[in-house]
Formats: sequence, structure tokens, C-alpha cells
Amino acid sequence: MKKSSLLLSTIFLAILVNYVPASAASRVAVSIDPPSVQANMGDKITYTGTITNNSGKAIDNVIAYISLANVTQGKEAPMDLEDWSANKAIKVDAIPPHGTYEGKWPMRLIDSGSYVAYITVVDKNDNIPISSMMSHLEIKRILRLNPNNVLPVALGEPVLIGIVFMVIAFKRRSRVK
Amino acid sequence: MIISVEGLVKRYDGHTALDGLDFSVEEGDIFGFLGPNGAGKTTTIRILNAIIKADSGNILIDGHNVFKEPLAVKEIINALPESNGYYEWMTAHEYLEFFSNLYEEKKSKKDIYPLLENVGLSGKEGHLIRSYSRGMKQRLGIARALVNKPKLLFLDEPTNGLDPKGRRDIHDLLIDLNRKHGTTIFLSTHLLDDVERLCNRIAIINYGKIVREGELGGLKGKGTIEDIFFMSTKEGTL
Amino acid sequence: MKTAYIMQKEIKESILTPKGFLWYILTSIILSILSYLFLTNSELSLLDQGQMLYMIMNFITALGILIGLVFGADAFAGEIERGTLEALFLSPASKMEIAMGKLGAAISNWGIIFAISLPYLFVVGKGGQNVLTGIVYLLILGTLLAITFSAFSMGLSARIKSMKNSLIISFFMFLLAGAPIFLSAALRRTWFGRILDLINPFADAINTFDSVVIDSQGFSYQAGRVAIICGYTLLSLWFLKRSVSGLEM
Repeated sequence: MKKSSLLLSTIFLAILVNYVPASAASRVAVSIDPPSVQANMGDKITYTGTITNNSGKAIDNVIAYISLANVTQGKEAPMDLEDWSANKAIKVDAIPPHGTYEGKWPMRLIDSGSYVAYITVVDKNDNIPISSMMSHLEIKRILRLNPNNVLPVALGEPVLIGIVFMVIAFKRRSRVK
Repeated sequence: MIISVEGLVKRYDGHTALDGLDFSVEEGDIFGFLGPNGAGKTTTIRILNAIIKADSGNILIDGHNVFKEPLAVKEIINALPESNGYYEWMTAHEYLEFFSNLYEEKKSKKDIYPLLENVGLSGKEGHLIRSYSRGMKQRLGIARALVNKPKLLFLDEPTNGLDPKGRRDIHDLLIDLNRKHGTTIFLSTHLLDDVERLCNRIAIINYGKIVREGELGGLKGKGTIEDIFFMSTKEGTL
Repeated sequence: MKTAYIMQKEIKESILTPKGFLWYILTSIILSILSYLFLTNSELSLLDQGQMLYMIMNFITALGILIGLVFGADAFAGEIERGTLEALFLSPASKMEIAMGKLGAAISNWGIIFAISLPYLFVVGKGGQNVLTGIVYLLILGTLLAITFSAFSMGLSARIKSMKNSLIISFFMFLLAGAPIFLSAALRRTWFGRILDLINPFADAINTFDSVVIDSQGFSYQAGRVAIICGYTLLSLWFLKRSVSGLEM
């Protein structure tokens, strides 16, 4: 009984010693701002990521990038950010000891739904990538029926060509017996 | 002499279509060019019309060398090919106007009506060609071949497929053209009836060679035109 | 002048006909659907304006080339099959005058397609960048490509004398010209892909549109590609001249 208690205690202690939150163990922390966004389709928003160097040593060559996941019921999937014009990763050359770096990720909201966005920082000297909290993004659908006055052209031009044809055909018919 | 042909040779892929053709046509003739199918009649006409080239030989048309001055030749000749297609979406008037525009001297609308009248198509000038009968199309083809008032007119099987009335109309038209306007007519045919009715001189071609040439009257002294043809071509059927 | 009369006849025969207008109505319907989708469909509508303009320009160019190929294939072979070419050859119009008249009609057809596309280009490009420059490039390169492909197809039609066969070969050549576009982006970035892209007139045109409309690059970036397209145009005109001068019934 004593032996088994000792073994359990040892395992527990080992787990406790090893279980330290990644951010606390890492030299780097990252946050995302704003923490939540409500916007319309077509809007452009910008996420700001703040990368903090928690250590007393300068860090260099870290890479930060943003991810977006659709969490709408039934449509859950990671998004290809190329379409959202936010695919670019940022490479940070150096952050001084206890210094911060602020990166911007403009994004064009191209589809409606519920999303979460988060920024991840990869430091080659760390084994674990560090991610920010999730920013909740709600995009409302807007129905645009006639953007850029496309309707008159889209409907009118085939009709106009048809009318021109009929005029030519009518003129021709009147010349032919 | 309006046509002078010497040593005309044409080969297609090793096959000799014309094998040293020699003949001549006088101005004012209705010259019958006879021969069985495949004898080389159409090839000869196409070479004379400067549409295809010959391998060797000499051709003078009204003093112009066909090979060296094809455009000058085309100004004074015209032709109705054997399988003449039509722009069926045009009216007869539009058709003639289009072709007359291609000659230096542009025809006015007024000039086109007599042309249609000559071939018996007056009153039909505004109809689409696709509504024409075969005989009407053939007459329109002849009208097209007259737009430049040619000195020399080539006709390749012009009465083929026509009913007796259609044939008679074409015969009358050609005789009229020859007598009234002095147009020399080069008539390629295998219908001996056409030859007897129209031609004053003939040449018979067989396997790419002229096998008989002369005045129709003189040749007929040796038998009927049919006899002469069969003797010359040594064929039982036409 | 004879060229002008032949061109006029070709336009009446191929453009101002129910069949010709059907092409144009279909073209405008397709452009209507594309433009409306681009501007209203949730994801497409939020594509960059330049991107939309670029895609419509590609479509118009490809369509102009395709219809030009049909014009070219019909030019001589179609007339031979209908038995109408001999009468044309009997006239004092030279073979080259006839060919130029037919080519003129093919270019007019491209002009009509371009004119049909103009309102769509303006609507789709409205508020975007480089719209006018893009349209000028489309007019110039589209015209050069219409001449190139129509003349090539016309030359084939004179040589092969079969409309069906010359059309099949022309389409095949067009697909071959378009083939590098289907290569993966990675393969297109290799030296082999770059050369393939550069020697292909259709890819040259769409890469120029991309560079002008999306990347806002100046003429110095386009000069090489435009020169290559001009080279192809001259080559195809030479091919047409050679083919037509040897054409016999």
C-alpha cells in the first residue's frame, strides 16, 4: 500500500513538474486584437498581433501567421486565407529582451458565418508553437442585387444585340422577295 | 487566234492528266471540247482559266501568256465551272453585283438588269438564289460569267442535269451571245447533241491528248458526230 | 478595293446572319452571367476588382481566338466544299486579295466581340485599378491574336481543303497553345515552364494582362511578350501567304 502510494505520488509530482503552460515556459507570448469582431461581408478589417519577448535575451527570426477557422454549424473547416487576402506570414528579425513587436493582418471578409481567428508564432528555438487566444469573428451576409449597375448591362446587352439582329433581318427581308 | 495551246502537260501525283496538249481556237468560234469522263477536259479549262498551274507547255489567250499574266487573262475571259456553287443567301442581283465589283470597271445597278434579262431571269433579281431551280441557277451562273463582257467564255458541261427546255434555253442564249456580241465560246461537254447544235469547231480529248480536231462540218463528213467520238475515244459508253 | 468587296461579302455571309448573331448573343449572355456572378456571388464578388477584370479579359481573348479559328477554317475549305471558290478565283482578284478580304472579316468579328465585351469590362472593372490600360492591352493583343490564329487556320484551310480537318487541327493547336496554362504553378516557375510560357502566344497575352491589370507593371515589363506575339502574327501571315499562293482547285 505504501509502495503504491509512493509510486502514485511520484507520478503525480512528475506530471506536476512537467505541466507548465506553454506560454509560461516559452520566451514568447502572442495576443490578438480585437478579441471579437462583428462585420459585414465585403468589409476590410485588420487584426493586430502583439508578440512579446518574455525573456532577458533578444530573440530573432520568429515567424508569425494568422489562421482562420469556420465554426459555423455544419460548415466547420479551416479557411484558405489566400482568398481573404491575409495569407502573408510575418517574419520578425529581432525582438529585444522584454520587448514587443506588433504585426498587422488586414483581411477582406469574403463569406458570411462564424469564425475564429488566432495568431501563431513559431520560434525555431522552441519546440512548441505559441498561439494567441481566439478572436471571434461574426460576418453578416449582405445581399447586393445590383452592384456596379451590372443589371442593366447584364440584361440589356443580350436584348440589344437581339434587337439589332431583328432590325437587320427585317431590313434584309424587305429587300428580298 | 484567241487560244493557242502548245505542249500542255499536267501531272497529279505521278498520274499524267494532260500529256502534251496542242490545239487552237479562233476568235468568234463556238469551240466544242469533247471527251469521255476523266479525259482531262476540266483540268484543261482550269489551266486556261489561270486557276491551276501546268507542269509545262505554252498558252496564249488573246496574246497574253496565261502563266505570266494571269490577271490580264482573267480580265478578258470568264467561265462557268462544271460544279459551280452559289452564295445561296444572296439574291441574284446581289450575286452579280458582288462579282461585277471585282472587276476594275464597277457595274452600276442599271447594268445588272440587262444581264439578268439576257439570261431570262428578269423579275427574279430580288429572289434568294436558294429558291432557284437548277436551270435558273445555271442561267445565273452564265450571267455571272458575263459580268465583265468577256471576249472568251468557257463553259464546262453547262447543260448537265437540265431538262430539255432548260437545255434549249441555254443553247439559244449561247448562240445569241456568239452571234450578237461576238463572244468566243469554249464549250466542254460530253453531250453530243449540244455539240451538233452549237459548235462550229471541235477537239476531242482522250487520256490527256487531243485525238481529233477540226471543223465540225468537215469531221462530220466521216460519219455522225457519235461515230467520230467513238472512233476517236474507242469507248462504248459515254 | 477588291479586298474590301470580299471582306464585305464575308461579313454579310458570316456575321450579319442568324448564325453570326447567335454567336454574339451567346457571347453576351455568357459575359452577363460571368459579370453578375463576379459582382454578386458571395465569394466571387469579393475577388479583387483587377482579378475579375483579368478573368473576363482572358475569357474574351479565348473566345475571340476560337471564333477566329472557325472563320479561318471556313475561309477556303468551306468555299471549296460549297463549290463557290472557283468562281471567286475566276475573277481578277488575286489569291492574296481574297485571303486578305477573308482575314478582314475575321478581324471584324473580333472587333464585334471586343465591342460587346466593353460594357462588361467597364462594369466589372468599375472602381478598380488599371481598367483603361487593361482594355487598351486587350484591344491590341486580342487583335494580334485574332490575326495570328485566324491566319493560321486560314492557311491550313487552304492547304487541307477540308473544313472539318482544318478546324480539328486548329483547335488542337489552340489547346496546345493553352496547355502551359494548365501546368501547375510550381512547374510553370521552372526554367522549362517559363520557356513554355514565353513561347506560347496565348499565355503571353494572359500573362501580360495579369502584369498590367493586377500587378500594375509598365510597358517595359510587357515589351518582350508583346514582341513575341507580334512575331507570331507575322509568322502566321507568312504561312497564310505561302499556303494561299500554292492553293489549287
